[in-house]
Amino acid sequence: MTAGEMSAPPAPAARAPGAQERARRVTSRRLVDLLGHAYIWFVLIVFVLPFLTLLAYSFTGPGGTYAIQNFQYVLGSFGENLWWSFRVAGLTLVINLLVALPAAYAIVRYPFPGKRLLFSALTLPLYVPGAVIGISLVLVYNFTYHLTTSVWGLVLAMAVGTFPLMLTPIVVALKDLPIVFEEAAACLGATRWQTFWRIVFPLIGPGVSAGLMLSFIIVFNEYLVTLFVHPPEITTAPLRVFNLVRTAGLAPTTAALAVTMQLISFGAVLLFFRVFGTRYLKGTYLI
Amino acid sequence: MSTVRLSQLSKHYGQTVAVHELDLEVADGELLTLLGPSGCGKTTTLRMIAGLVEPSGGRIEFDDQDVTWLPPRARNIGFVFQSPALFPHLSVARNIAFGLSVKGAKQAAIDARVEEMLALVGLTGYGARMPSQLSGGQQQRVALARVLATDPRVLLFDEPLSALDRNLRDTLKYSILELQRRTGKTAIYVTHDQSEAFAISDRIVVMNAGRAEQIGTQTDIYLQPRTPFVAEFIGSNNGLPGTVSGVEGSGEDARTIVSSGGMLLRSRSRVPAAIGDKVVAYLRPEDVVVLQDGEGSAFENVIEGTIERVIFEGPTAQLRVDIGGRELRADISGGRRLLFAKGQGRVRLGFNELTLIAAPSDSPAGVDGDGEQEAAPTA
Repeated sequence: MTAGEMSAPPAPAARAPGAQERARRVTSRRLVDLLGHAYIWFVLIVFVLPFLTLLAYSFTGPGGTYAIQNFQYVLGSFGENLWWSFRVAGLTLVINLLVALPAAYAIVRYPFPGKRLLFSALTLPLYVPGAVIGISLVLVYNFTYHLTTSVWGLVLAMAVGTFPLMLTPIVVALKDLPIVFEEAAACLGATRWQTFWRIVFPLIGPGVSAGLMLSFIIVFNEYLVTLFVHPPEITTAPLRVFNLVRTAGLAPTTAALAVTMQLISFGAVLLFFRVFGTRYLKGTYLI
Repeated sequence: MSTVRLSQLSKHYGQTVAVHELDLEVADGELLTLLGPSGCGKTTTLRMIAGLVEPSGGRIEFDDQDVTWLPPRARNIGFVFQSPALFPHLSVARNIAFGLSVKGAKQAAIDARVEEMLALVGLTGYGARMPSQLSGGQQQRVALARVLATDPRVLLFDEPLSALDRNLRDTLKYSILELQRRTGKTAIYVTHDQSEAFAISDRIVVMNAGRAEQIGTQTDIYLQPRTPFVAEFIGSNNGLPGTVSGVEGSGEDARTIVSSGGMLLRSRSRVPAAIGDKVVAYLRPEDVVVLQDGEGSAFENVIEGTIERVIFEGPTAQLRVDIGGRELRADISGGRRLLFAKGQGRVRLGFNELTLIAAPSDSPAGVDGDGEQEAAPTA
């Protein structure tokens, strides 16, 4: 505060330097804004550019022309690979859910010794490299279960690898759910089964859906463990992309398949937020 | 319609005793309140009656059926929790319908019952709303409708009003009482709020440290507390420890003389006490009369003291009087309180109602008051 500013009604002459001051401040603030926006766009481009490049490449015809035909392969020759990916992902989700729901309930609601240790052990696959899981499973399947020739071998491998992604959001959701709802249901005459399906399951919906989405995206795009344990007659879409790139280099048709896979994953995320993001409870446990 | 009987009901958590061999009988249609400070075992008792907590020992009977080991769903109870605990994903109507629908009632019967219950709690037309669209008081009324819909044998309330603001508490406690009266259900109500307990109960169980200290009506526990805990927990009280020094007169006119801090206090309390017994003489602040000059002949006890502090509370003024090194609280109301609004100096205090309770070190279980022991009269 200067002495001039303290004197009562400010004369026009006194206001002029203040206005200049304001203008200068606005300019520096705008500069900060511009830099901030530039940074955001830069990050966006870094993240999105690979996808855009791939998208552009997938439309490249022979001799650099524009070609939609690449995507015919997706429905034709690659269709079976996508279909396998869907089947493996679907079966994995079912198994994950059937195991994770009771497991999460037991972990959250019942006291038992070694609970934390068990939970840590169950989330172990998250920290183990895919190749290590692959080798271990090859050993186990070959020498113990003889599962290498069945789709179930692949599905179980996926389930083991993504189970923590299903379990953790459900555990978090259950921990957030006050037990009083279950007590109220029990006092109103509901069996445990009724209480679970009519009260608990809908209320942990955001956790379940987060688990489903995470597992789906990982399984749908997984190729490393698949490489180890897939039966010869089953090739999932990501494995096909990998094989094609390895043997024939990156062809525009392969790019088309990759783009399709991306769109499916992106669609799953959109569907997730549309269906579960606003239902019952606002938001999700992920975001 | 049901009676509830608890026999020797106990709950231990490791070494901690939450409830100790509680015996209790609730009559058909009665509203009984478990009143006590937090941690006294009142909620644990209620949750054992509901089947939400397994007892460590004892029996719980509804009518003559032993329900001690039945799960909550088989007991046909209505439990109103501290929070309304409405299922947030179900509409008001489906919340109320829940108890009937899990038992497989027909949809038409459920719909009729839901309408009936909404009307009962004054929320007709709210069926389609979601719980989050209701106020706290409305939610608790829906919770009431939800438990009443299943026509339970016993209603159990676990501090149902403690989460609401004060005005709402005052109106809702009478709504609960009115609903209980209209439906004629046996009810057990847990609270730590004395005014709530006094307003709605038929009988009150004062609980402390897992035991029932005293069971009785409002007047019983306020005017004739049996243990120091009850005397001190219910309302305000002055406790004057002393020793029985004699008995005067006989029959209705008998007075026990207690020597306390150099004073001799006369009490009508019919406590069996021998000379030399340690007792605490309890005196309610509102029973103390501040005497003006020339008054005093109407009181059995008149003592002098120095005013230390006056707290003017509006309807009453609270006087803290130093009587020989101890502080006595006197609440004065009416015009007389204005005389002492900023009073200082010496006052004379008169009082008759002195309740004698055996000092806790002598008999921790309290005094029963059955029969009178005669002690030799002394001056």
